[in-house]
Amino acid sequence: MIEFFAEMDIIYKIGLAVAFIAIIVAFSAIVRQKDEIHLLIIVDLIEITGLVVIALLATDLAEALILPGLVVGVAEIMAVSELWLVKEGLQNVRPIRRLDIEVLHTAPPIIGAVLTAYGIFLTGFTGGLIAGLGLALFFLGKSTTENFLSSENASGYAWVLWVLAFLIFILFPSQWFLALMAAAVGIMIKVMAKIALVGTMRGDGS
Amino acid sequence: MMESILVTIPFGDMIHYLSGYTVVLFGFAAIFVILAVISLPEKPVEIVFGTDGYSLKETPVDLLRFQRFMAIACGIATIGAIVTGDIFNFTLFAAFIGVLNIGIVAAVKNKHVLSAAFSYGLVVMMGTVPLFAGAAIIAATTGTLSIWELAAVGGVPIVAKLLLMIGVLGEGMAPFYIGKAEITRASGAPYILMIHVSSLLLFLRVVEILLTV
Repeated sequence: MIEFFAEMDIIYKIGLAVAFIAIIVAFSAIVRQKDEIHLLIIVDLIEITGLVVIALLATDLAEALILPGLVVGVAEIMAVSELWLVKEGLQNVRPIRRLDIEVLHTAPPIIGAVLTAYGIFLTGFTGGLIAGLGLALFFLGKSTTENFLSSENASGYAWVLWVLAFLIFILFPSQWFLALMAAAVGIMIKVMAKIALVGTMRGDGS
Repeated sequence: MMESILVTIPFGDMIHYLSGYTVVLFGFAAIFVILAVISLPEKPVEIVFGTDGYSLKETPVDLLRFQRFMAIACGIATIGAIVTGDIFNFTLFAAFIGVLNIGIVAAVKNKHVLSAAFSYGLVVMMGTVPLFAGAAIIAATTGTLSIWELAAVGGVPIVAKLLLMIGVLGEGMAPFYIGKAEITRASGAPYILMIHVSSLLLFLRVVEILLTV
């Protein structure tokens, strides 16, 4: 890796200089801004420029470091924005009515079923995404108040399946195909359950 | 600096270790985690100024539970930051301590405490930039993040060390921010203490790392 950096040394330095100029610009914005919600948004912008510095490593290591960095950033902005909502007393806003148009009564079950079937056929992360979009659309169209315990349970068991698949990979490498399939199905159900939850967000406090 | 190693836990190229110095920090953090587990929050007394009147503030059970959970998690994250032998893990634990410190303070539903916690949260978020940038520059220049290898090879640029230091100052800035009386007046004393403990130990550990690498 050291030779690698010696090779792209000048590019790395230019990139670093640009990133630090961006950081300085963002910090100067913080100094000028007084409104709290805008401060919060600018601070998130600053964090993203920090991630750029990591991304400049341009190796697999950078990818491995960006993901936790991103998670920390998301956790922080969620905590602080929740804090801001409590501080300003904005937590119980008026419920938002859903769109009451005809197409949302008829189309979602059909499109949802097609997308879900196609997603299950694909398996893996992409399949989970597509099947999840189908379910999200279904829940968006339906004025549902059912509990989502079963989908949460399925998500939990899918996670266990995913971990088991990795254990099979490590302990019995000869059974790689079984492990691959188990991991693919596990991640599909996990992603599907997560994205389906988006369809249930209507801000009605349920 | 690496001579007085007591325990090592090899985990790939990141070797977690306890030296004579960090074992003291470890013990200190462990004691405060146990205190957070077993102790009950104190009841702050509010005195009506100029009279003999006073009132006792009760801490609600849900607030107590939340603060206790945050305090225990913060203590465990502090232990993680002390034991780890990898600079990136250290930065992650530091960022984690920052988030948990916001959580401990923000549990108190008081306008002044909340606005103090909000400003603290903004500083914590800004602190992650130099923190991660420092770790990234160390990885880029030396090709490793293992403190063990960096102690042998060296060559960590001074700018990366400074960025790491500034980042930790941002994450564990509670000692400065605690100057705002409203946070210390907030109920839940043993849990609020964890903010001081975690940032103190974080400072002591980052000094050890910067002297080692």
